[in-house]
Amino acid sequence: MSNEPWAIRLGSRLMAHSSMRKTMKRQLFNIFILGLLLTFVSCKPGPEPTPQETNIAKGLFVLNEGTFTYANSSLTFYDPEADTVENNLFYRVNNAPLGDVANSMMLDETGMYIVVNNSKYIYKVDPKTMKYKSKLDGFTSPRHIMSINKNKAYVSDQESTGLWIINPETMQKTGFVELGNTTERMVRVGNEVVVTNWSNFYQPETSNSTIQFVNIDSDSLVAEMEVAPEPNSIVLDKNNNIWVLCSGGYLPPCEPALFCINPSSREIVKRFDFADGDYPSSLTIDDAKENIYFLNGGFGTLSLYKMSVDEETLPSTPLVNSQQSTVNGQSRVFTNVIISEDDDIYLTDVKNYVQNGEVLRYTSEGEFVTSFPAGIVPGAMMFN
Amino acid sequence: MKHIFFIAFLLTVLNINSLAQNDTIMLDYVEISASHINNKVQEKAMERKIDTAIMQRLQTASLSQLLIQHSPVFIKTYGPGGTASASFRGTTASHTLVLWNGLQLNSPSLGEVDFSMIPVFFTDEVSLQWGSKTSANSGGLGGVVNIANKQKFNEGLILNVKQTYGSFNTWGSYLTVGYSAKNMIARIKAYRNSSDNDFTYTNIATIPHQEMKQKNADFVDYGVMPELQVRFKNSLLSLVSWNQFSHRNYPPIMPNAFNNTKEYADNDFSRNLISYKYYWNSGRVELKSAYFHERQDYFLESYTSNGLPVTQINTLNKSDVFRQIVDLQQDLFRSWKLYAKVQYDYESVTSSDYDLDRDSDLSRKNRDIISFYAALDGKIYRDLDLRMTLRNDIVDDKSAGFFPTATLTYRMPFVKGLSFNAGYSHNYRNPTLNDLYWYPGGNENLKAENGKTFDFDINYLYENVNFNLDFRSGLYYSKVNDWIQWVPTNYRYWMPKNVSEVMARGFETHLKVNYNFALWTFSVSGNYVYSHTTDESEYAQQYDANGKQLIYIPKHHANAFAEVRWKSWNMNYTLEFTGERTTSMNDDEFFAYQLPYYILHHISFGKQLNRFRLEFKINNLLNESYQTVLWRAMPGRSYEIYLEFKL
Repeated sequence: MSNEPWAIRLGSRLMAHSSMRKTMKRQLFNIFILGLLLTFVSCKPGPEPTPQETNIAKGLFVLNEGTFTYANSSLTFYDPEADTVENNLFYRVNNAPLGDVANSMMLDETGMYIVVNNSKYIYKVDPKTMKYKSKLDGFTSPRHIMSINKNKAYVSDQESTGLWIINPETMQKTGFVELGNTTERMVRVGNEVVVTNWSNFYQPETSNSTIQFVNIDSDSLVAEMEVAPEPNSIVLDKNNNIWVLCSGGYLPPCEPALFCINPSSREIVKRFDFADGDYPSSLTIDDAKENIYFLNGGFGTLSLYKMSVDEETLPSTPLVNSQQSTVNGQSRVFTNVIISEDDDIYLTDVKNYVQNGEVLRYTSEGEFVTSFPAGIVPGAMMFN
Repeated sequence: MKHIFFIAFLLTVLNINSLAQNDTIMLDYVEISASHINNKVQEKAMERKIDTAIMQRLQTASLSQLLIQHSPVFIKTYGPGGTASASFRGTTASHTLVLWNGLQLNSPSLGEVDFSMIPVFFTDEVSLQWGSKTSANSGGLGGVVNIANKQKFNEGLILNVKQTYGSFNTWGSYLTVGYSAKNMIARIKAYRNSSDNDFTYTNIATIPHQEMKQKNADFVDYGVMPELQVRFKNSLLSLVSWNQFSHRNYPPIMPNAFNNTKEYADNDFSRNLISYKYYWNSGRVELKSAYFHERQDYFLESYTSNGLPVTQINTLNKSDVFRQIVDLQQDLFRSWKLYAKVQYDYESVTSSDYDLDRDSDLSRKNRDIISFYAALDGKIYRDLDLRMTLRNDIVDDKSAGFFPTATLTYRMPFVKGLSFNAGYSHNYRNPTLNDLYWYPGGNENLKAENGKTFDFDINYLYENVNFNLDFRSGLYYSKVNDWIQWVPTNYRYWMPKNVSEVMARGFETHLKVNYNFALWTFSVSGNYVYSHTTDESEYAQQYDANGKQLIYIPKHHANAFAEVRWKSWNMNYTLEFTGERTTSMNDDEFFAYQLPYYILHHISFGKQLNRFRLEFKINNLLNESYQTVLWRAMPGRSYEIYLEFKL
């Protein structure tokens, strides 16, 4: 495809006919005038930008989901030291989009992995250069990936009832752990992976209110525990207890709750119930595994809460209130949170879901530090 | 209550009828067309007919192709066999009203029309109307695309067979049979169109970019349209039934080209119209009664680890629409004419997407609209004409308000064929039944959208034996308040709200030239459109989106067509230009946010051999790789052979 201005192409095409009669010429001249008229239109070259080199420093990756079916997911990198941000990183390096609804990331010794939900594949990239390495496809609705070792990782799936086993090194599927329920978030406890059964939307006969324990050596289900509907996030604390946050269900009456569970005795240590109408999500934990952070409030008005793992009651006031942190009079729409190793808080603001969002950075005390632009619907975040 | 209105109006009409003289008026065409150029100018204000010669060339195409190549209407298409929606004067698909013989085709559930489902073959006339000319109906805030079935009496036996074969195993068969007698025409049209549609394209969403075959994109459409017209003394009875069926597989977007999902839609509809026209010397009255039934079944499925299907979406939507119209045209004194219409519409949608009743998988919602419309049109001073209209609609027993329009037409006294139009119009658009009742999110408190438009057109028409020229250029400015947009809420679903205030302004120009010289005929025509459409609402300001072009509305688009005929040979060349479009409200230079412009070239050669006609077409001659909708693959160069037999 030539890159010369199209008017020239059109012109030469028309001129090629100029040996015809004069009258013909006049007619063609008319087309040409019309053509000239069209050249007022901006003439940009076609979609073939040269791939850009990059060298990733230490910092934060932000994965932007984009708009469903628009395949405008993108990757943002933020360097907290320099306070610099780079957007559309994957596209700029690889000259191709990430895909449709990029959902999560994982980094291990073998590389960096990006799970693209509606494109149903996992991309492996070089963690330093962001250069594409390989692709593994054929999942049903992949959500998250957890590394077990160099040759084994689990991939959760929102529509298949279990976990995919893959070899991240060779990027091949090696098996499937049938669990009877769809799978979402995972946490590793010793030689077990605890996985949440978050959704039964596409598999209506299955459970969406349990967590399951999978032995990583035998790749088999060893236990199952009932929590509340829609366990959407899970973390492990310093006491080796797991915390499971449940948004409470899709249809009322909802039962939002937070659980602290002893994974070896498989007993509920503590249970905290939220008010009906609350939509708690995005449970995360600091580096010391002492404080948990989560979002709660109405669905579009979630604020950030912080709580010590030794606490016996839910916090009553938010650490960062989305309704008080406004831009152009519009309150923030937080969807995810992550805590850095020096306890800085990063919150994603998706705005109206169709425009580029933002990431806001706060101190551990909830003081605003800075913000930086991200892509459409910033979601998953990961430090390298 | 509304039924009483209706009957009262009927009686009035009948009364006028009985007063009218009973002379026999033999009409050839249904419309009375004036030959005087000035009358043409007046009738053509804010209106344009697509050249019948061009329609002849595109008999086997869909209306979406006709419009994108030969009109100022922009078409957003998902590719061959995919949905095609229109954007007229910087607005969206739901603001483009489509009238079939005067009856709204826009789906009551979606508010849109899929132009890929309208074969040019099933139409005899296509025209566009905008500004104050859209005032007879609600909804056409951008404009109206009129399609009509018209036939001539006294033509004898009608037999026409067209067969096409083209790249990607694309077959089209079109048959017209009938008889046109002195006072009766019976005609039946039938077609079938299918394609494997497995074209090769460069997938620029994979790494590395690669040549791929489009998959799961095959489709088949077929339709049949019987028509009957009977001419009595002073009156005309017409019946037409438009029936169509299609099965279309939808291909994945480029990044998902390796997915094993299955997506398809089955569409079928039956649109039936009976109309009766009664003429007298100074006017006519027409009664129309229509019943439309449409059904769409949409299906999306993926597969689990053990190969079992997971149905993600399986929706069924059915609509039943009844439309009753009485319209009257009456000459008053001097040049003044009165036009009046009363219309009663009942629209009902049965859908699996609405709030379900406990004991049924489907839910049914409906709406009725009664509409009163009157127009007055005549000369106010020498070369100055005025047309005024007023409409009042009653939607579900609630008045939608009064909507006036006014158009001034000035014919330059010393320059024959030169005229100016200036118009003001006020119209509205009802929320669709999906906007009102979708589960979850449907918002029953939605108000109607409300639009005001100012137009200014210059027309110049020149005609002589060997040369004619038609030049039109126009400016428009519209403001639509309470524009409906689906926005995120504090719940886990989106909801339509009257949040936007959309301003659309722009410029359209059209030129058509025909020249005959000895055995040669040259025709050149083209359209250029500039449209700048932005949301200026408070909502948009909150997100810094005000002042930014709305998505998928190109600021610039244009087309050009040239044809040379010599004896029984012809060659034509078509250019389609689509400017850059944004797919999000972001300014970043990211391919997925800004789709680059493209230009398509098409060429065709034809030869008439007695009753046969043979054509060879090359579409996308330069094999341009382009996207009309983000990540939807489009075919490169393709070929088509066309053979026609006409009695």
